[in-house]
Amino acid sequence: MTFTATRTALTAALLSSVAFGAAAEDYTITVWAGGSGDNATYRWEAIEMAADQMEREAAVRGEELTITVESQAWTGWDDFKQAFTLASEADNAPDIIVSGHEDIGPWSEAGLIVPIEDYVFFDSYPLNTIYPNLIDVASFNGQIWGIPQDAEARVMYWSIPALEAIGWSSDEIDSLPERIESGEFTLYDMLDAVKKMQDEGVLDANMGFAPRVSNGPDYWQFYQSFGGEMSDEDSGKLVVDTAALKGMYQFFVDATEMGVVSGTHLGSEWDVWHQNAASGNYGAWHGGTWHYAQWTNQFGLEDFFNTVQYSLIPAGNDAGRANSITHPLVYLVTSAASEDEAVIAAELIAKASTPEINALHAVKSAHLAISEDETTVPLYAENRWLAAASERLAPSTNAIPNNSDFGVYWTAMFDGLEAAWTGVSSVDDAVAEVETTVKQALGDDVIIR
Amino acid sequence: MSSSADLNTGVARKSRRSDRRRPRISGLGLALLAPALFLLTLFFFAPVVLTGIFAFTDLSTSTGIGRGQYVVTPNLLRQLGDQGLTEDDATAIASVSITIDEAGIARATEGGVDPDFLSEIADRFAGESFDDPRAFSRELRGLPNAPRRPRELTQTAEYFETSVLNTRFDNPEALTAQLADVAPDVSSDTIAWIVDRSYTGARFTTANFERLATQKETLRLIGNTALYVAATLGLFNVGLGLFLAIVLFYTPKPVTSFYSTLWLLPRITPLVLYAIMWKWFTWEDGFLPIVAEQFGLPSFNYMKGSVVTAWMTMISLNGFIGASFGLILFSGALRAIPMQQLWASEVDGANRWQQVRRIILPQMRWPILFVTSYQTLSLLSSYEQIWLTTNGGPGRTTTVWALEAFTTALSNYTGNLQYGLGAAMALVLVVVGLVLSIIYLRLFKFGELVSRPKIEL
Repeated sequence: MTFTATRTALTAALLSSVAFGAAAEDYTITVWAGGSGDNATYRWEAIEMAADQMEREAAVRGEELTITVESQAWTGWDDFKQAFTLASEADNAPDIIVSGHEDIGPWSEAGLIVPIEDYVFFDSYPLNTIYPNLIDVASFNGQIWGIPQDAEARVMYWSIPALEAIGWSSDEIDSLPERIESGEFTLYDMLDAVKKMQDEGVLDANMGFAPRVSNGPDYWQFYQSFGGEMSDEDSGKLVVDTAALKGMYQFFVDATEMGVVSGTHLGSEWDVWHQNAASGNYGAWHGGTWHYAQWTNQFGLEDFFNTVQYSLIPAGNDAGRANSITHPLVYLVTSAASEDEAVIAAELIAKASTPEINALHAVKSAHLAISEDETTVPLYAENRWLAAASERLAPSTNAIPNNSDFGVYWTAMFDGLEAAWTGVSSVDDAVAEVETTVKQALGDDVIIR
Repeated sequence: MSSSADLNTGVARKSRRSDRRRPRISGLGLALLAPALFLLTLFFFAPVVLTGIFAFTDLSTSTGIGRGQYVVTPNLLRQLGDQGLTEDDATAIASVSITIDEAGIARATEGGVDPDFLSEIADRFAGESFDDPRAFSRELRGLPNAPRRPRELTQTAEYFETSVLNTRFDNPEALTAQLADVAPDVSSDTIAWIVDRSYTGARFTTANFERLATQKETLRLIGNTALYVAATLGLFNVGLGLFLAIVLFYTPKPVTSFYSTLWLLPRITPLVLYAIMWKWFTWEDGFLPIVAEQFGLPSFNYMKGSVVTAWMTMISLNGFIGASFGLILFSGALRAIPMQQLWASEVDGANRWQQVRRIILPQMRWPILFVTSYQTLSLLSSYEQIWLTTNGGPGRTTTVWALEAFTTALSNYTGNLQYGLGAAMALVLVVVGLVLSIIYLRLFKFGELVSRPKIEL
C-alpha cells in the first residue's frame, strides 16, 4: 500500500518585501520511504517540517526560498527497493530516499546515491550530536553516505502470565533478562519453558514460540546466538560460519519437532502474529522495539509492562552470546537530484535530524534515539518503553554489515533456513547449499569457517 | 529468332509450373504482414535477444544497467591486496595531497569561486599542504568569507586536491591518467590491472549457467514446476475441462449456457481480486476453515499453513482459471461430432459411458493435445497467481521456476536484483518452451493440418 502526501510549503510572501536583491529560489524535493507503516509518518513529515524551518530561516536572512516536499511511502521492502532501483535506472528516482543502511553498499557502487558528507558538516549541530556508531553504520568505503534516521533494538518478548502459570516466581521472571544476558539462560531453555506451557495447557499447540513471520535482520541474531559473525572485522570480508549456521538451523528444526512452532510458520500473516502477540497467546516471541507502538496503538495491548517481559535474544550455545540487532534506516541523497536539489535535500535531512524533530518519530514509532541529546527531549525522556529499551537492550546491539555483497549471503541464509525449517532439506544439506552458493557468487571475498 | 522465342516460352512455361508448387511472395502480402512482423520483433524477438545477452552477464543492482564507471575504492584496494597488490602501491594510490598553489587558485577562479574567499585562502594557506580533506575543510570554514553552504566549501577544497580514491570516472583513460598522476611510481601494468578491476558495470560471464547447473535448488525448482504443471493440467485444464464439457454436452441447452458462463468467472475476474477471494476462502476464519471446523476437521490457514494444502490451493486456484479454457474448446469440438454416430450407438444399445469412451474421446484427440500443449506453455511461464497467494511458501515449498526467476531478477526482500541470473533462468524457460513447441507441433502433425487439400475445390 502506498500513499502520497503532498505539501506545499508556506511562501514567505510578506517577508519577501525585505528580501533586498535576493533571487527567489523554488525547489521540489521528492522523498520516498520504505518499510513505513502508519506509525512511521515522521520519516517524511520531518523533511516537511525541515522545509518549513529552512524557508523561515531564508526569510530571516532576506532570501526568498520555496520548497515543495512530495512524499511517497511503502509499507514493505520488496516493492520499495524494486521501485527505487528501477526508477533510478529510468532516471526517475526521488531526491531523498529513506532505506536500510545495508543498501548503501550496492547503491553507492551502482552510483545511485551520492555521499552526503560532501553536502553537510558533520562537526556542526545537529549532526555532531549523532552517536558515532550510527555514523559508522551510514559509512561505506571510507565515505559517509547517509544520515541515520532512527535506531532500534530487536527483542525477545515473554508472556508473564504464561511464565507464572508454569510456576515461575516473580523473582525468576524479573531476573530473566540478566540470566539471558549472562548466557545462563539459553535458547534451548526457552524451548523447554514454552513446551511446558503447552504441555500444561496454558498455550495451544505450536503457540509456544513465535518467531518473525518473514525475512528480516532478526534471523541474523540467531546466527550470532550460535557464535556466528557476519563479517570479519580486520579484512571486512563476509564470514560464513558453518557451525553457527548449523546451530541456528538445527534450533528451528528442534523447535518444530518439539511442536512449539509450526513447520510452516514462515510466510504466515503479520496481522495474525501481531494479534496473537498483543493478546498474550504466545509464550515467547521476538520482534522489534517498534512493535510496542503497533501493539499498544493498533492491537489493543493495554498493560504491557505487567504482562510482557523483554530481553535480548538468548545465546544458543557456549560459542554464542545473547544479542540484539539494530537496523538503522538512513536518509540518502540520490544521484537523480540535480546539484542544486542535492544541496537543498542534504540540508533538509540535516535539519530533520535535530533532536526535537527526530524525537517525534522515535516516540510515535517506538524507535530509539539517534543522539544523546534526543534522549533528553522531554517527549522522549518521559516515554517509559524507550527509556527501558535504551537501558536494557541498546548497549548489546550491533548492526548488519555494509557490504555490497551482503544481499547475496542474506538471501542464501534465509533460503537455507526456509528449506531446513519446512523440512525440504536436512540441516547439513541446507548449510552446504548456503556455503556453495555464497562461495560461487563471491569467491575470495568471503571467508568460510 | 525463332529458337530464342521458343526458349522464352519454355522459360515462361516452366516458371508458371513452378509457381504452382511454391507460394508466391507478393508485395501486398508482405505489406499486410509488416505490422505483425514489426510487433513480433519488438515484443518477442527483441526481449528474447536481450534476455539472451543479459543471461551471460553479472548484471545486478550493484552493477546497474549500462551505467558502469571506473572507481578505485578502499574496498577494491583491499581486495587487490589479497591478490598481490603491494602495500606500497596501495598506499600510493590511496594517498591524498592538498596543496594550495597558484594552479589551484587558478582552477578555483575558473570554477567561479568567490574571489574574496580565494584571496583569503591564498593569504592564509599559500604553499601549505594537507593530507586530510576533512581537516582542510575545517580550516577553510574558519575563514571570514567562507561560504555558508557546505557543498560550496567542499567544492572549493576539491580544486586543491589531488587524489583518485572514490572518484568516479566515465572512461578508463581518465582514470589511468589520474592514477599516473597520483601514484607515478606504480608500474603501468599494475595501473592497467587496477583500472580493469575498478569497472563497476556488468561483465560477461557464464557463471549464471554454471550456478544453475550445479546448485541443488535447481532440481527442487524443476521438481516443483513439473508437479505444478502436470497436476494443474491433468486435474483441471484438461481433466475438469473435459469432464465439464461432456457433462454439459448431455444437459439441456438453457442450463448449459448458464453453467458455461459460471465457469468463465475465474478467468474474467481481475487477478488481484481473484487472489483476494482465494485468501478469504482459505485463510484462518475464512470460508473453508470455518466449514471444516463445523465438521471437526483440521481448521487452519490452508493457503500457507501446511505444504500439502498450499499445493492443493495453488493448483486449484490456477486450475479453475484454466478449466474454462478447456471447457470452451472441448464444447466446440464436441458439437462437431456428427450426432448420427451417437444416435446410431443408442440404437445399438450403448450407454453414456460407452458413448464417451468409444465415440467422443477418440474424436477429441486433437483438442486435448492442443489444450495440453498450449496450457503447458502458459503454465510454465505463469507466476502471478502464485506470487499473489502462496508466494512460493510455506518455506519455499511451492516456488516454481518462473516465480524464482521473477523474484531473483525483480522483487526480493534484500533488494539485490540479480538481472543476469534472472535472465538466465528466463532463457532456460524460453528454450524449454521452444523445444516443447516443436515436439507438440510434431505430435499434432501440424504439417498435415496446413498442407494443401487433397481434392481441389
